[in-house]
Amino acid sequence: MNSEFLILMKQEMGVTLILFILLFLKIWDGIKENGILLHLINVLLLLNFLLGFVLNQNGELFNGMFATNSLRVMEKSVLNLGTLIISLQAYDYLKSHKHLLEFFMLLLSTLLGMFFMISSNNLLMFYLGIELSSIPLAAMANFDMDKIKSSEAAVKMILSSAFASALMLFGISFLYGTSGTLNFQELVSLITGSPLQVFALLLVFSGFAFKLSAVPFHLWTADVYEGAPVAVTSYLSVISKAAIVFVTLSSLAPLFSHLNEMWYHLLFVTIILTITLGNIFAIRQDNIKRFLAFSSISQVGFILLGISSGTATGATSAIYFLVVYIFSNLGAFGVIALLSSQTGKENISDLKGFYQTNPLMGWVLAISLFSLGGIPPTAGFFGKMFLVTAGAAKGNYVLITIAALNMVISLYYYLRVVKAIFMDKNETPVEPLRGSLSLRLALLICMIGVVGTGFAGGFFEHIYQLAAK
Amino acid sequence: MNASTMVFYILSAVILGGALLSVTAKKIFRAAVFLLFSLIGIAGLYFYLNYEFIAAVQIVVYVGGIVVLIIFSIFLTHESGRDMKEPSMISNLFAVFACCFAAALTYLFIKEEHFNATPNPTLEPSARNIGTQMLDITRYGYILPFEAVSILLLAAMIGCIVIAIKLKPKE
Amino acid sequence: MSNTDYLLIFIQFIVAGGFVTLVLFVTHFLGPKRKTSDKLETFECGIESQGNARLPFSIKYFLTAILFVLFDVEVIFLYPWAVNFKEFSSTNMSGFISMSIFMGLLLLGFIYIIKKGALKWE
Repeated sequence: MNSEFLILMKQEMGVTLILFILLFLKIWDGIKENGILLHLINVLLLLNFLLGFVLNQNGELFNGMFATNSLRVMEKSVLNLGTLIISLQAYDYLKSHKHLLEFFMLLLSTLLGMFFMISSNNLLMFYLGIELSSIPLAAMANFDMDKIKSSEAAVKMILSSAFASALMLFGISFLYGTSGTLNFQELVSLITGSPLQVFALLLVFSGFAFKLSAVPFHLWTADVYEGAPVAVTSYLSVISKAAIVFVTLSSLAPLFSHLNEMWYHLLFVTIILTITLGNIFAIRQDNIKRFLAFSSISQVGFILLGISSGTATGATSAIYFLVVYIFSNLGAFGVIALLSSQTGKENISDLKGFYQTNPLMGWVLAISLFSLGGIPPTAGFFGKMFLVTAGAAKGNYVLITIAALNMVISLYYYLRVVKAIFMDKNETPVEPLRGSLSLRLALLICMIGVVGTGFAGGFFEHIYQLAAK
Repeated sequence: MNASTMVFYILSAVILGGALLSVTAKKIFRAAVFLLFSLIGIAGLYFYLNYEFIAAVQIVVYVGGIVVLIIFSIFLTHESGRDMKEPSMISNLFAVFACCFAAALTYLFIKEEHFNATPNPTLEPSARNIGTQMLDITRYGYILPFEAVSILLLAAMIGCIVIAIKLKPKE
Repeated sequence: MSNTDYLLIFIQFIVAGGFVTLVLFVTHFLGPKRKTSDKLETFECGIESQGNARLPFSIKYFLTAILFVLFDVEVIFLYPWAVNFKEFSSTNMSGFISMSIFMGLLLLGFIYIIKKGALKWE
C-alpha cells in the first residue's frame, strides 16, 4: 500500500515536499540572499518536472478520491514545466521582493490544488482542488504591495472566484441530492437528465466558465490581469486555465455524457460569444497585459471549440494547443515582464521602435505573437488548425465560419503589435533591456517549444495515444 | 399541522426573513446583523434534522467566526455608518424578474423531480461516525480531503499574513 | 435527542425573546415623557459632538479575527477525532498519524505566524 501510494501520488508528493522545504527555509531564515533561494527553487521545480517521466503507473487511491493515469501524469508535467518557466522568468521581479518564499509557497499550493483537481475522481476532492487552486492565487495577485491596482486585482479575483465556487458548489449539491453519490463513475450512470440535474449542469458549467473567463463570465479578467504582477498574470492566464481545461476534458465532459446535447448547446453559445467578444475587446486595448487578457479570452473560445467535438481527437487537439499556448504566451509574457520590471512601461505604444534597440527580444515577442495568432511556420498554426478541424467534425458550419472569421480578426491585432515592434518609427524607443540569465533561458525554452512542437510530428500522436485510452 | 412542521416553518421564516432584511437593509452594519439571524436559523435547521455536529459547526464557524469577521471588515471601512444608495429603478425591476424566475424554477423542480433513495448505505451523522469516516483510509474514508484541507488552511494563513502585514510601517 | 426535546428549547427561546421585546415596548408607554429640544443639547461644559462615532480601526483586529477563524475551523476537525481517540490509539495508529500530519502542518503555520510577528501588538 505504502509504496504504491508514493508512486501514484509522486507529483503531488513532490510539490508538497517543496512546499515544506520552503516553509522550513522561511522559519529557519538562514539564507538571506534571494538570488540563491531562487536558483534553489528552480532546481527543485526542475526535479519535480522530471518526476513526471519516471515510474508512471495507472491506479486509484483512497476509494476513488484520487485516480491517475499516463494522460493525467502528462498533464501535470505540462503544468510543472509552465511553472518552472514562470519561475525562471520572474527572477528579476522576485530578486528584490520581500516575500519571495511566500510567493512560491502560495504558487505551489495552487499547483497542488490543480493536481488534486486533475486527479480527482470524486466531487469533494474536485471542489477542494478548485478552492486550493484559486484562494492563494488571489493573495498572489496582491504581491505588488504598494500598488493600489494590485489590491484591486486581488479583491476582484477573490470575489469573482468565490462567486464561481459558490455556483459550482450549488450545482454539486444538486448532483449529490439527486444521486446520493459523489463518485464520478457512480454519478455518470445516475445523471439521467432530470430537471435538477440539468440545472446542476448549468451551474457547474457557469463555475467553469468563470474560471476559464469565457464570455459572459469574463468581466473580472482584464482588471485582474492588469493589476496583478506580470508573473502572476502569466500564471493565471496559462497554468490556471490549462488546469481547468484538463479537468473539463478528463472529468466534466465524461461526467455529463448523458446530457451531451445540452452540453453541446451550452458550448455552442459560449464559444461564439467568447471568440467574438474577446477579439472585439482585444482590438481596442493599449495596455499590453489587458491586450493579452482579451486575446486569451478568445483563445479559450478556440479551445472550447475543440472540446465541443467530444471525441478523442478533439481532446488531443485541445491539449496540444494548450502546450503550444503555454510556450507562446509565456514567451510574450517573458518579454513583457522584462520590459515592465526595467522600465515600468506596459503599453503597446511604448513598443514602437522596440526592434531598433532590442532586436533579439523583438524577435522573441514577434514569434510568440505569430504563434498566438496562428501564423504558419509556428506551432500555433497547427494547434489552431487541429482545433478547428476537430470542431468541424460535428458539421456545425455556423460555428466554423465564425471561428474562421475571428481568426482573421485576431491576425489583425497581433500583427498590429508586431508592426509597432518592427516598422513604427519612434524618436525615443525603450532603452536596451538587460535580461538575467534565467529569463533568457526561459525565453529560449519557449522559443524551442513554439518552433519545435510544430515540427515534432510525433507529439500529437503521442497525446492521442494517451487520450484515446 | 403538527409541532414538527410548525418548527420547520418558523425556522424557515427566520432564515428567509433574515436573508431578506439583510439584502434590503439601508445600513451595511444592520445587514451583517440580519445575516447573523439567518445563519442562526440555518443552525436551527440542522438541529431540527438531528445533525448536531453540523449544527455546532455552523454556530462555531459562521455565527462565531465569519460574522465577527464581516463586522470587523465593515468597521475597517470609512463609511460604515452611512446609508447605502437607493438601487436604481432598473436594478429593482431586474431583481423582481430574477425573483419571479427563481420562484417558477423552484416550483418546476419540486413538481417534476423524483428524488431517488441513495444507493449508498446511510450513516448516523454523529460526531463519532464523522470522526471514523474522516480518518479512515479504507472504503468511504475521507482521509485525503482531510489532509488537503490542512494545506488549504496553511495557504490561507500565509496568504492573509502576507497581505495584511504590509501595512506595518517600515522600521 | 428527538425533535420534541428541541421544541422545549425552542419554546424557551420564544419566551425569552418575547419577554425582551415586550419589555422594550412597554417602557415606551410607562413613565412620563417630556421631549424638548433643550434636553438633547450638550449640558454645561460638554463639547459638541462631531463626525461619526464609528471610526475605521486597525487592521490588527482584522488579522487576528482571520487567524481566529482559521484556527476555529481547525479545532472543529479535532472534535470528531477526540471522540474517537480511544479506538484510534488502541486498534491502529493510522488515525493518530493522519491527525499528527494535520496538526503538524498547522503548527508550522502557527510558528510562521509568530515569526512574522503577526500577533505582536504595538
